[in-house]
Amino acid sequence: MNNGEFVSYFKEEFFIPKLKSKKKKAVLEELIQPLVNKKLIKSQKLVFETLLNRETLGSTGIGKQVAIPHCRTLAIPEICIVVGVSEVGIEFNASDGKDVQLFFLILGPPLDESNQYLPILGKLCERLRKKTFKDKLVKAESYEKFIKLLAKG
Amino acid sequence: MRSQVELLVLYQDILLMLDEAKHEDKCMGIEVEGVEKLKKALEEVAKDIQQRYIRMFERLKTRYSHPLVPVQEDTCLGCFSKLPTSYHERGRNDEGIFTCENCGRLLYWIE
Ligand SMILES: [Zn+2]
Repeated sequence: MNNGEFVSYFKEEFFIPKLKSKKKKAVLEELIQPLVNKKLIKSQKLVFETLLNRETLGSTGIGKQVAIPHCRTLAIPEICIVVGVSEVGIEFNASDGKDVQLFFLILGPPLDESNQYLPILGKLCERLRKKTFKDKLVKAESYEKFIKLLAKG
Repeated sequence: MRSQVELLVLYQDILLMLDEAKHEDKCMGIEVEGVEKLKKALEEVAKDIQQRYIRMFERLKTRYSHPLVPVQEDTCLGCFSKLPTSYHERGRNDEGIFTCENCGRLLYWIE
């Protein structure tokens, strides 16, 4: 997957520069909300429950104050990504115990025609493990700058 | 209350999650320690599903990787055949369990 393809999955309307939530469950709900507003999800509860199930498997807080809550679910018709930034950070049972500032919610259908769900997830994991990358992203002053940084990797 | 079809969606989603857990752990380095806990969650969901639907699901599983498929624009996305108009309204409201007349898969209206 090239950079152009990768960033084409991100949309400004699914970018939350200031998350209001303070807790794990609440932030998951807040991240789903834009997709509900756009009528991409019929049942918010169903998606929420599947995300919680995924967290049962192990926290998607991958460290360095980043979390990538994700799941495949029949409740979504296409791959959707929502990005959220928390100024203060949220407790998310992350692998390094640190509060999470940067969230990438990734939802994909089980029958993913383009087969891009796992490559997207892999690419994000790889980039976000770089030491200072999260800090740069969180400090981006606009969505445009954020996407540029993300594309560069 | 979650409807029977919603529970089936959860059931299939968890099965898929368990399938992909190893990949996440090995290829992406996301620690996955809760496999047993998730299996318990799957059992809990299964308890609330009527036995006949579980049996139907398991029978279809021998033929299809995804026994439950989405319906969009009144079309079964498993085999792309149009569904009878009599299904539409009730299907959209998650009233009851419907199967595709053509391929036999269980159906979930995603819109
Ligand atoms: Zn069909």
